[in-house]
Amino acid sequence: MTELTGYRRANGTWGVRNHLLVLPARTAANRAAEEIADAVEGAVSVTHEWEGLPGDPDAGLVARTLTGFAANPNVGAVLLVGIDDGDRPLARAIAGRGQTVHLLAMAEHGGTAGAVAAGVGIAERLATSIAGWEREPMPLSALAVGLECGGSDALSGITANPALGIASDRLVAAGATTMLSEVPELVGAEEILAARAINDDVARRMVAVVHDFERSVEALGVDIRGAQPTPGNIDGGLTTIEEKSLGAAKKAGNAPLTGVVDFAEPPTIPGLYVMDTPGHDIEQMVGLVAGGCQVVAFTTGRGTPTGSAIAPCLKISTNTAIFERMEGDIDLDAGAILTGEETLQSMGDRIHDAILEVAAGAPTCSERRGNREFAIRRTHY
Amino acid sequence: MTGRRRPDGRYGVRDHVLVLPSVVCSTNAAETIARESGAVHITHQHGCLHVGDDLRHTEGALIGTATNPNVGAVVVVSLGCETIQGRRLARRIEDAGQRVAFVGIQAEGGTERAVAAGRDAVAEFRELLDAAPAEPLPDDAVVVGLDRPDDALRAALEARGWQVVDAPEGLSAAESHVALAGAGAQVIVSLRGAGEAPLGFAVCPVVAVGRDPAMYAALHDDFDLGEAGVDEVVARVEATLAGEPTASERRGARDFVLHRLAVTM
Repeated sequence: MTELTGYRRANGTWGVRNHLLVLPARTAANRAAEEIADAVEGAVSVTHEWEGLPGDPDAGLVARTLTGFAANPNVGAVLLVGIDDGDRPLARAIAGRGQTVHLLAMAEHGGTAGAVAAGVGIAERLATSIAGWEREPMPLSALAVGLECGGSDALSGITANPALGIASDRLVAAGATTMLSEVPELVGAEEILAARAINDDVARRMVAVVHDFERSVEALGVDIRGAQPTPGNIDGGLTTIEEKSLGAAKKAGNAPLTGVVDFAEPPTIPGLYVMDTPGHDIEQMVGLVAGGCQVVAFTTGRGTPTGSAIAPCLKISTNTAIFERMEGDIDLDAGAILTGEETLQSMGDRIHDAILEVAAGAPTCSERRGNREFAIRRTHY
Repeated sequence: MTGRRRPDGRYGVRDHVLVLPSVVCSTNAAETIARESGAVHITHQHGCLHVGDDLRHTEGALIGTATNPNVGAVVVVSLGCETIQGRRLARRIEDAGQRVAFVGIQAEGGTERAVAAGRDAVAEFRELLDAAPAEPLPDDAVVVGLDRPDDALRAALEARGWQVVDAPEGLSAAESHVALAGAGAQVIVSLRGAGEAPLGFAVCPVVAVGRDPAMYAALHDDFDLGEAGVDEVVARVEATLAGEPTASERRGARDFVLHRLAVTM
């Protein structure tokens, strides 16, 4: 089995990648951040729709998200591209998590062109400084893996999700952390997860997080069935949100539930967690990565190219047809369980090993393609 | 001044092929297509797990951007399983009188094939658009969007025979640019105050006016004008209509921010 290796960060966390992240603090800095990242070897950037307007009630949530994303241990250093002094609190929050961060304020450079010229030089220096980090043997207790599904079909709950559950159980038993998410897709499965909680408090939170979501949907006066299952889920043979949920929860195997965390909140001790995220593939992936996941394992029935700018996303198909059809987008095929080439157990073991190989440096399909979808979770409208 | 006459009778002052992702999951494929074919694209984080009015509004915003008269043709890039179904989106854009091609990542069989199909579609549209001559732009075909009310400026623009559309209330400037593009504005005038950095939009030139001297001084390269008089703004709009790139176009800013009506599911 692959030995787990990573980059030991000064704050005690471990990265499995060593990225230089060029992060825009606000929408108006998107273009400058993109241009800097394009010009510097090894730099990655994301763009987003957070304008940072005064008095926005989502400011705290967004700050936690951007801070957590920048502080993910896969990031060796951050060039935060801001507008002016108003972006200093975000830079301080990122630094407060023990991350190396440099704030580039566009207002000090006359705009985008000047900021890019200055930023490329700073980014090159940061890239050089993080290139000195070397991999060393990493304890499994320092690894956190997100468990995600997107574009589910009727086979999700039969092949890829339970196989990922077996991998998750092995990781948790060995002392690692795994995180299930997408609360809307746990509707109907909350009692099953709560029954596995390590104490009554966690059990109550597990049920509450699903019920709070259901109440928020009722308050909107909408029917969740308008969005869940999605058109693709239905084409793939799923009929109800409960059916989708029971399959989705299989990703978490049978390990005890150690805790329920808020969106983008890092867990404190290893174990299996549920993070309170929406079902939206990218919002939840950003939440998981902002919560410290260094790797995301992502099952898909309909097929998706999804990836994160800073965390390898290992994609596992539920059926062989989509694996073959979307060549180069999906890493592993759990459809082999249906043909008898693999058992659930052997596939679970393969996924487990692949997660460790990816953590040790093997690139995923989404990394080869440079996928870097990003989305900011909002809750106030 | 010349423009591009569209099949519905409106005129564009730019002649973009827009690569439009129907969902966040296809934004990287859309970006690759645009980069490799010289088209414009938007990046957004939406398209899946919307409910109720928010779903209709989001679809409307994407259609509005795609049918702006500066856009000569659209390549919709879909994943396939998303809530805002790419095929339906493409059909609705076509029903609105726009040239449109559809590329689905799941339908084509993966990112690589989708990108190749998208590049081909852009190239075909580009050839078609480039073959059409520019025509004189009638004043009454000009629509200018204002992202903040300004009566004097409005009167001066209208005195030229141009239509002026205002941003809906309650939107941020970036959100209002989506609405103004959807209302058919060929040029957006963005009036920026204290603490407000200039923005751009993928399919419309944005004339950014820095009315706060400190902000203008700090970010002058990204503004088109500082504390300018009404006549100066009108003259800059006229130059922009005639094809002179704005600061937002020069730096390639395409700040798509969608006003949402409900939380993502």
